[in-house]
Amino acid sequence: MASGRFGVTSAYLNSAAEIQIKMAQGAKPGEGGNLPGRKVYPWVAAIRYSTPGVSLISPPPHHDIYSIEDLAQLIYDLKNANRNARISVKLVSEAGVGTIASGVAKAGAQVILISGYDGGTGAAPYSSVHHAGLPWELGVSEAHQSLIENGLRGRVCIETDGKLMSGRDVVIACLLGAEEFGFATAPLVCMGCMMMRVCSKDTCPVGIATQNEKLRARFSGKPEYVVNFMHFIAEEVREIMASLGFRTVNEMVGRTDCLKKRDYSSGKVKAGAAAMVDLSEIINPEYAGVPENERHFVKEKVYDFHLEKTLDESKLLPAFESALKGPAEKAKGEIYLKVSSTDRAFGTILGSEITKQFGEKLPEDSFVVHAEGGGGQSFGAFIPKGLTLRLSGDANDGFGKGLSGGKLVVVPPKGSRFRASENIIIGNVALYGATSGKAYVCGRAGERFCVRNSGAVAVAEGCGDHGLEYMTGGRAVILGPTGKNFAAGMSGGIAYVLDEDHSLYRRMNKDMDSLEEVTEKYDIADLREILRDYVKETDSELGRKILDHFEEYLPSFKKIVPRDYQKMLIAISKYEEQGIPHDSAVLEAFREVTA
Amino acid sequence: MGKPTGFLEYTRKDNVDVPVSERILSFNEFHLPLSAEERRKQAARCMNCGVPFCQSAMKLSGMVTGCPLHNLIPEWNDQIYREHDAHALSRLLKTSNFPEFTGRVCPALCEKACMCGEYDDPVTVHDNELFLIETAFEKGYIKPRIPKVRSGKRVAVVGSGPSGLAAADTLNQRGHSVTVFERDDRIGGLLMYGIPNMKLDKKVVDRRRKLMEEEGVVFRTGVNVGTDITAEELKKEFDAVIIATGAKNPRPLTGKVTGMQPASPDKPVNPIDINGVYYAVDFLKATTHALLTQDGRSVEDFLSTDGYISAQGKDVVVVGGGDTGNDCIGTVIRHGCRSVTALEMMPEPPEQRLPSNPWPEWPKVKKTDYGHEEAIYKFGHDPRVYETTVKEFITNKKGELKKIRTVKVKFENRRMIEVPGTEQELSCQLLLIAAGFIGCEPATADAFGIPLGKRGTIETEADHYRTPVERVFTAGDCHRGQSLVVWAITEGRACAREVDEYLMGYTTLKEC
Repeated sequence: MASGRFGVTSAYLNSAAEIQIKMAQGAKPGEGGNLPGRKVYPWVAAIRYSTPGVSLISPPPHHDIYSIEDLAQLIYDLKNANRNARISVKLVSEAGVGTIASGVAKAGAQVILISGYDGGTGAAPYSSVHHAGLPWELGVSEAHQSLIENGLRGRVCIETDGKLMSGRDVVIACLLGAEEFGFATAPLVCMGCMMMRVCSKDTCPVGIATQNEKLRARFSGKPEYVVNFMHFIAEEVREIMASLGFRTVNEMVGRTDCLKKRDYSSGKVKAGAAAMVDLSEIINPEYAGVPENERHFVKEKVYDFHLEKTLDESKLLPAFESALKGPAEKAKGEIYLKVSSTDRAFGTILGSEITKQFGEKLPEDSFVVHAEGGGGQSFGAFIPKGLTLRLSGDANDGFGKGLSGGKLVVVPPKGSRFRASENIIIGNVALYGATSGKAYVCGRAGERFCVRNSGAVAVAEGCGDHGLEYMTGGRAVILGPTGKNFAAGMSGGIAYVLDEDHSLYRRMNKDMDSLEEVTEKYDIADLREILRDYVKETDSELGRKILDHFEEYLPSFKKIVPRDYQKMLIAISKYEEQGIPHDSAVLEAFREVTA
Repeated sequence: MGKPTGFLEYTRKDNVDVPVSERILSFNEFHLPLSAEERRKQAARCMNCGVPFCQSAMKLSGMVTGCPLHNLIPEWNDQIYREHDAHALSRLLKTSNFPEFTGRVCPALCEKACMCGEYDDPVTVHDNELFLIETAFEKGYIKPRIPKVRSGKRVAVVGSGPSGLAAADTLNQRGHSVTVFERDDRIGGLLMYGIPNMKLDKKVVDRRRKLMEEEGVVFRTGVNVGTDITAEELKKEFDAVIIATGAKNPRPLTGKVTGMQPASPDKPVNPIDINGVYYAVDFLKATTHALLTQDGRSVEDFLSTDGYISAQGKDVVVVGGGDTGNDCIGTVIRHGCRSVTALEMMPEPPEQRLPSNPWPEWPKVKKTDYGHEEAIYKFGHDPRVYETTVKEFITNKKGELKKIRTVKVKFENRRMIEVPGTEQELSCQLLLIAAGFIGCEPATADAFGIPLGKRGTIETEADHYRTPVERVFTAGDCHRGQSLVVWAITEGRACAREVDEYLMGYTTLKEC
């Protein structure tokens, strides 16, 4: 799960045995990614919930993680989204990674991956490949030592990657403190990768990183090659282990006393700068001396999230127990309950059970939860189609994170005397990475509203800064003022904003999108339809006023649409008008746009 | 990479050859360059690999793959595509002293390692290089680069083959004063007298000589170091001496000689003493030497000269299946031989790479070169006979070669054995030995008091060029053993760097 959250749905998360939060990449720490439009083929776009032919931008940070507490929250959210999966956090080797690793271990992650700078360089910019990052050796040893000092080592597995190429690499990583090992470059080379560094260009001449049929035909790899490679790695590891006298990997973890610095005094090997390196802190034998069960992962020490205490496990699941077992036709239910801000990721476990049982088959509003009170962090995260959460009150940050088809409605409590349209009702970074579903917010949203939305329909009565950033699909209707940097990096989807004082142009980021009036028949119908549904669900005062005087308000609405996205939509409809079926029309349009 | 999709859009186009029927009537070069427009498309096929094997010179299964000079091939391919020829040239000259030689005669290790060649045909690196340097000469980009500052150090280079020239050029550019000694009448070593004119026009060597002279290099031809000038004199006069005399000691051919009487009864006749048996290089040299006495390059012009070893009207047998053997075939056809047969001890190589010889290893495949093509055209069949060697030379009483007896051979446990009952007689009046070389002629090394190693070469520490004798260095085939022009240039450059360090106490020259 990376910052772009492309295609991260409830179904996706529930199919996993391990969910990894990719905080950064070893070869380009601190950078986001860019998938060029010409590589976003229709089938790529489908799994990424985006538009063919339109470039995709992965933001450098996770927009829901600004602190270690935020990361802890995401780990918790994912544990709720799939209780059977291990949660892994990918960090990169850097000075201070030990502190971060300790925080991640406290937050409940079961695996910490320390990634080095040498691998994964296929699509990284050359400037980063050559000048950024640190080797995994430094990160692994710092994380390992720091975890031991904090008494946290047993809670987590340390995994490492970043161009492990041999059994010797594996053994060194293990002696420095790692117990799981990731390979990518070497197995890719086994399958024919030539390290062309053109993964971004769709011209991979060995048919690996390309969708071009002609080039894919050249692919000559076989799974057996990778199997063979791994056998060789294992064999080499075994040989070295035997020579060191270790029977198990666990015995070997963190035994830095088996490592020594190469001796250059004989003068046989040219030392150069290597002779001046001081490795004493890395191979510090103090850490090798701690008892074995404090040096590696111990199953019994795994962090307990106490999910049995959540409202989902204590109230929602028992209430819907029989409906959740039965056939889809009988999957119905309704419940009323109170929530408080300590109920984090409310509805997520229920959503996960619905996904496991029914997939995306349930009709809207099959299960309806009426909640009252202050919703906690990540209210309704990743909930699937068929589940509706109606909240009377307000909600904290991360509302509707990763929404996967469910419906979220939040309204002020009955009898409140403030004006909903002038008050913030949900926190920051609502609907981050939503892929489908509906979210109706009767009031203003906080900052970073709808960032990376790729399919949900959302309505709010105002939003803070950076609204709709990197959005790639869906629709957002904002019935009030927005913050600055609105729609930055937005490459898909459509936004309708009520801009009564016509000042939106000053707050909008116009790099990729154009601002226009709502004049098209189709757009008007679309907007009116969304508003009708919104008013029906929330009974919003402002919404009702707009609907009642729609023609008067219409000139104040602005439509924001990304230019490349629009070009693609026009191309698709052009082919569809010629009578070509939708899928073929998309492919034709893709070819036309990327030619 | 100029064009990411270039390799998908364009197919490889080699320089076009003059038709065989026409080209065998002269000693002119016969590759016609593509138009500039076509050339840029060819350059666009380069994929700018993240790991460019073409410039890697890495050893795989004992063979080097990729350019020993580490020519910045993807960079200049890109510049050719973008029509930045002058910039491309500057990148090319950064690593290569004489692209006009390698652009003509190099077997292109780069192309064998080209990533494009794994699924498709490799990029025309070799032809692109030639295009760059020839365009540069034509458009006047090549101007004498006279060093602004002279170090005051004097260097003697013995031997003016590609390695001696590369060392001389590099050291001269660095500011040292270089004098090149050559025992022949023209400089170039094998470039001049080993490689036939159709492959490397001698004007190209002269053009380089002129340029180097303008840049300050002094050439002294017709001077045999060791006799005309002693080693001691050379060491006294110069601060450093580089021996780059090549590996010209040919591998001899053994076999029974019947017909002619030995000079003394207890000493059998050495086949090379037979009238009609020559070493290939001697034969080729005589041809080129005679050709250069004329202005014209047609066969007609050539036949009007004398002083060469003629193959006219003879049945020729060439022993050895390498490049030199092929050059001999091309040359005897121009002489007007009656027939030509090439004997090769090894079995016929496969047409395609074997699974045991995958890309990017050097392909051990059958290569039908220009000489073979010409023989096929002229005589209607491939001149090559595999797994065969000469067993007996049959002469008349005057010691003129008349016939040879051949025998099939096979290899068992890496030893060659004759197959009984496969002897055949072959009419043959001229037999050319192109069976490789076994090290350098010892004269120069002897003069300096340097012993030769087991391989007949001047031995130094690995990857170094200093001989045991103070201020004397060595480079090229006489150090490495017989090899390619590109290796000679690489050795010359690397040796120059070591000499520079020796002379100055430090060096600014880049490592090869």
